[in-house]
Amino acid sequence: MSDLFAFDGAPEAGYAQPSPLLSDEEAIAGIPESIRRKSLPRWPRASEPELVRHYTWLSRRNFGIDTGFYPLGSCTMKHNPRVNEKIVQMAGMNDLHPLAPASHLQGLMAIFYEMQEMLAHCAGMDSVTLQPVAGAQGEFAAIRCIQEYHRSNGEGSRDKVIVPDSAHGTNPASAAMCGYQIIEIPSNENGRLDLGALRAVVGDDTAAMMVTNPSTLGIFEPEIAEATEIVHNAGGQMYYDGANFNAILGKTSPGLMGFDAVHYNLHKTFSQPHGGGGPGSGPIGVKSHLAQFLPKPLVVREEDEHGLDGWTYSWEDPVNSIGKVQQWHGNSGAVVRSWAFYRRYGRDLEKMSEHAVLNANYLRHRILNPSEELASKISAMPIDGAPARVVKHEFTLSMSPVKDATGVSGKDVAKRLLDYGYMAPTLYFPMIVPECLMVEPTETESKEVLDKFAEDFLTILTEDPELVKTAPHTTDVGRVDEVWAARNLVLRHSLGE
Amino acid sequence: MVDHLPNLGREEIMLKEMGLSSIDELFSDIPEAVRRDSPLNLPAPQTEEEIMVDANRLLGANVAINSRPNFLGAGLYENYVPSMVVAMATRGEFLTAYTPYQPEVSQGMLQALWEFQTMVSELVALPVSNVSMYDASTAAAEALNCAVRVHNKKATQKNVVYVTEWLPEHRLSVIENYSCGAETEIRTLKWDDNGMVDLKSAEAAHGCCAVYVEQPNPFGVIDENLAELKQIIGENTALVVGVNATSLGVLEAPGNWGADIVVAEGQPFGIGPTAGGPIYGIYACTEKYLRQMPGRIVGKTFDDKGKDAFTLTLSTREQHIRRHKATSNICSNETLIALMGGIHMALLGPIGLQKLALRNAAACQVTMAGVLAIEGVELLFTNGASYNEFTVVLPGSAKGALDYLDKLGVTAGLALCDVMSGADEAWLHITATDQTTNEDVAALVGGLKSWISSTVMAVGS
Ligand SMILES: Cc1ncc(COP(=O)(O)O)c(C=O)c1O
Repeated sequence: MSDLFAFDGAPEAGYAQPSPLLSDEEAIAGIPESIRRKSLPRWPRASEPELVRHYTWLSRRNFGIDTGFYPLGSCTMKHNPRVNEKIVQMAGMNDLHPLAPASHLQGLMAIFYEMQEMLAHCAGMDSVTLQPVAGAQGEFAAIRCIQEYHRSNGEGSRDKVIVPDSAHGTNPASAAMCGYQIIEIPSNENGRLDLGALRAVVGDDTAAMMVTNPSTLGIFEPEIAEATEIVHNAGGQMYYDGANFNAILGKTSPGLMGFDAVHYNLHKTFSQPHGGGGPGSGPIGVKSHLAQFLPKPLVVREEDEHGLDGWTYSWEDPVNSIGKVQQWHGNSGAVVRSWAFYRRYGRDLEKMSEHAVLNANYLRHRILNPSEELASKISAMPIDGAPARVVKHEFTLSMSPVKDATGVSGKDVAKRLLDYGYMAPTLYFPMIVPECLMVEPTETESKEVLDKFAEDFLTILTEDPELVKTAPHTTDVGRVDEVWAARNLVLRHSLGE
Repeated sequence: MVDHLPNLGREEIMLKEMGLSSIDELFSDIPEAVRRDSPLNLPAPQTEEEIMVDANRLLGANVAINSRPNFLGAGLYENYVPSMVVAMATRGEFLTAYTPYQPEVSQGMLQALWEFQTMVSELVALPVSNVSMYDASTAAAEALNCAVRVHNKKATQKNVVYVTEWLPEHRLSVIENYSCGAETEIRTLKWDDNGMVDLKSAEAAHGCCAVYVEQPNPFGVIDENLAELKQIIGENTALVVGVNATSLGVLEAPGNWGADIVVAEGQPFGIGPTAGGPIYGIYACTEKYLRQMPGRIVGKTFDDKGKDAFTLTLSTREQHIRRHKATSNICSNETLIALMGGIHMALLGPIGLQKLALRNAAACQVTMAGVLAIEGVELLFTNGASYNEFTVVLPGSAKGALDYLDKLGVTAGLALCDVMSGADEAWLHITATDQTTNEDVAALVGGLKSWISSTVMAVGS
C-alpha cells in the first residue's frame, strides 16, 4: 500500500516556487501577529517523482469507462472524447475570469449562446440557463423558478410537489430544499405512472409534479400527455428530470410532452466526464412563462459586423430572476466540453439516441434469451423489472427469482460482475423493483462487448452460489465492510496519533 | 459521419436478432401525439479536426487573465497549477469513473479522497471534511442550513442566522436561495470602522443558529476580531467561517479560534479560474455537525479478509436513501477537481503552502504600496492588514478606471458596485496573487496615474 502520509522527505521536498516580491520577513510583518498561523498543516513532504508513482498506483486501483464496460443505469457512462479535454486546457478557457469584461469572454459567450439555443431546441423549451452545476442543482433552480412563478400569480399557497415513487432521490430532496411538502404517488403494477393515483392527490395546492421520462425503469411513459394535462388543469407546473434525455433526442421532447421546465445532465447526455463523482453540469430549460425567473445572467447577442463571426455577446439578467444558485456562470468547462461533443454529432444526435436505445434493447434481449446450453444450467432467471415490449436507453432486471431459488442477491451478482472485469449495474434503484439491477450500456459500446457481457452475466447464474455470494475474489480488495466504516468513522489519517 | 458509434452499420444484424426490422420499431412506444414531426434543425456533424479549428477560433478570441497584467480576483484567483496535477488527475481511470459505489474496484479514488479529507482537516484544523461542494457559495449556504438543523431546537432565536454586511451578490444570493427550505431569516452582522466584526453588536446574535463571517472579509481586510466571536455568540450557535484557502499558510486555522464549520473556495489549489467552473467548495466541521452535514464522505474500513480498505460512508444522510429528508440534494459534486486540489496540496507540502501564502501576501503588500502612492487614491479601510486583495476609493468611477486601463492592456480589478449592492461607484477591488510581478504593478500604477491625470483631473478643472 502506498501511503501519502508516509512521505517524509526534506522540508522543501515539494514543488519549487519563484522568489516572492518581498522577503519572507517583510511579507510576514504585514500579517497581524495575533492571527498568524502557529503550526503548519501536516501535509506530506514528497517530490514530484514520488507523487507521480503514488497517484499512478492509485489510478490503477480505480475503474473507469476507459478500463471497461460501465453499465451503470441512470448515469449514461458513455465514452469521453479526449479532444474535449484538450480544448478545456487551452488558455482561452482555463485562464478566464467570469467577472472579466464581456469583451474578454466573447468566444466563451458564443459557445454559451450556441449551447443555450441547441439545448432549448432539442428539448422544445424557450429559454435555457447554463448556471446549475449538476442535475440536482438544476432541479432546485427550476423548482425555485416555479415557486416564484406561482407567487407572482398570487398562488404562493401551492405548497406541494408530487413525485412518483420511482423518482430519483434528488427530486424530492430538491423540492424539499425549496420548502415544498412532498407527495409521493405509487406507480401502477406495470411500473408506469398511475393516473388514478395522480388524480387523487392533485389539487389547488399542487405547485408542480416532477417526472422522469423515459422513467427510471427505462420505459417511455405511455400516458405522459394525460399526466401533464391533469397537472396543468389543476394549475400545477410539470418538471422534467432530464437524466434520461439520451434516449429521445430527435424523437420527441419534453416540450412536446407538455413540460414547463427541464434539467439536462451534460455529464450524462453530453459526455462531460463523471470524474469519480463530478463535476457535472445541470442546465435548465423553461417555457417562456418561466423565463423571467431564471438564475442570472444569460447570454444574449446582437449583430455586429466587428464582432466575433458577426455578433457581439453580452450578459442579460432575466427581469424577475431568482438570483444565483452557483457563484459564477456555472461549470463553464463542462459546457465547453459538451459543446465539443455536440459539434461531433450535430443533427446526428438523433443517431446517438437510436444507438443508445438499440444497444439497450439488444443487451436486454441477449440476457433474457440465453442459449439453450446456458439455459439448461441456470436454475432461475431474472425477470424484467417492468413488462415492456421495447425499452429505451436502459432496462431493469429483478433478481428476486434468483434470490428465491439460490439465495444469490442482486448485490451478489453485482459484486461477481466485478470479477469479470465489469463495473456493476446500478443496484437497488429504482426502489420499486425488488432486487433491482439497472443496466445502461450507452451508444458507445460495441456489439462484441454486449454479447460478451450477456454471456458472462448468464454464466454467473450457473455458478456455485457460495462463489457468487462471497464475490468479488479477484479485485484489489475483497467485499468491503461498510457497516464497520459507519460504526467507527475513521474519516482521516491519524498521522501517528 | 459520426465516429464514436461502434455499432454503425450493424444495426440490421442486431435488430434481426431481436426479431425487429427497423430502428423505428424501437421507438414505437412513443405515442404519436408527442412525437417530433421534423428532424433536429442542427448543423451537420463535424470531425475532431474541424471542431479544433472552431475551438481555436472561438476560445482564441477570449482574453486570458494571465496574458496581461491582471488584478481581478475576488474569490477566484489567477494561479499556476503544476503540470503533474492535471496529468495525474486526468488519467482515464480517475477521469472516466463515477461515484465509487463499488468500493472493491474504486479503492484508488476513495483513498485519494480520504487523503484529501485529511489534508483539508489539517489545513483548517477541524476533524471532518467531505469530498467537496459545488463551490464556496453553496458550501456557505449549506453550512448555514446544517447549522439550523443542529441548533434550532435549543436556539433562542429560532430559524435565524447572521451573516456579515457587504457580502457580494454571488455569495448572498446563493445563501438566500438555499435558505428557502428552512425559511431561515438572514440578519446582518455589523462591522466596526475597520471592516472587522463589531464585537459589541455581535451580542445580538447570541442564541441564533449560526453566524457567517469571512476571513479576510470581502474587501480583503484581515479581521482581527474574529478570534473573540465564538465566546460572544455561545456554544449553541455555529460559527461558520468562509476562508481564503491559501491564506491558511500564514493565517491561523479557523478551527484553532472557534470555528465550528469552515468553508472555502478550493480553486487556488488544483485548477485555474476556468471561467468560474468547475471549481470546488471545501467543507469541514467538528464532529457535532457530522451527521447533519451535506455531501459525500469517505471512511476507512476493512475488507472480508481484514485488509485495509476505503468506502463511502454515512450515506444515510444523503438523498438516494433519505430522499426529501436528506441533509442536502447534492449528488454529483466536484470530486475530480477536489482530487486535483489534493494532488496540488500534496505536492506543495507544508513549506510549499507557507511559501505560496507568503508570495500572495508579498504581492498584495507591494501592489497596495504602489497604488496608495498615487495621489487621490485611498484605502477604504485604513487600519487593517490585507491578504490577496484590498479595496481602494478612487477619485472617480471605478468602472471608468477599469475601462481606461483595459484599453492599456491592464485588467485593473473589479468595480464593487457591479457585485455588491450599496457599494460606492468609486470602490475598486484589487487582487494580487503569487502570479503578480513588479512589472504588473508598475503597469497598474502607471495606468491609474494616467487615468487620473487625463480623465479625472480634466473633468475636475
Ligand atoms: C434520474 C436522475 N435524476 C437526477 C439525478 C441527479 O443528477 P446529479 O447527480 O447531476 O445531481 C440523477 C443522477 O444520478 C439521476 O439519475
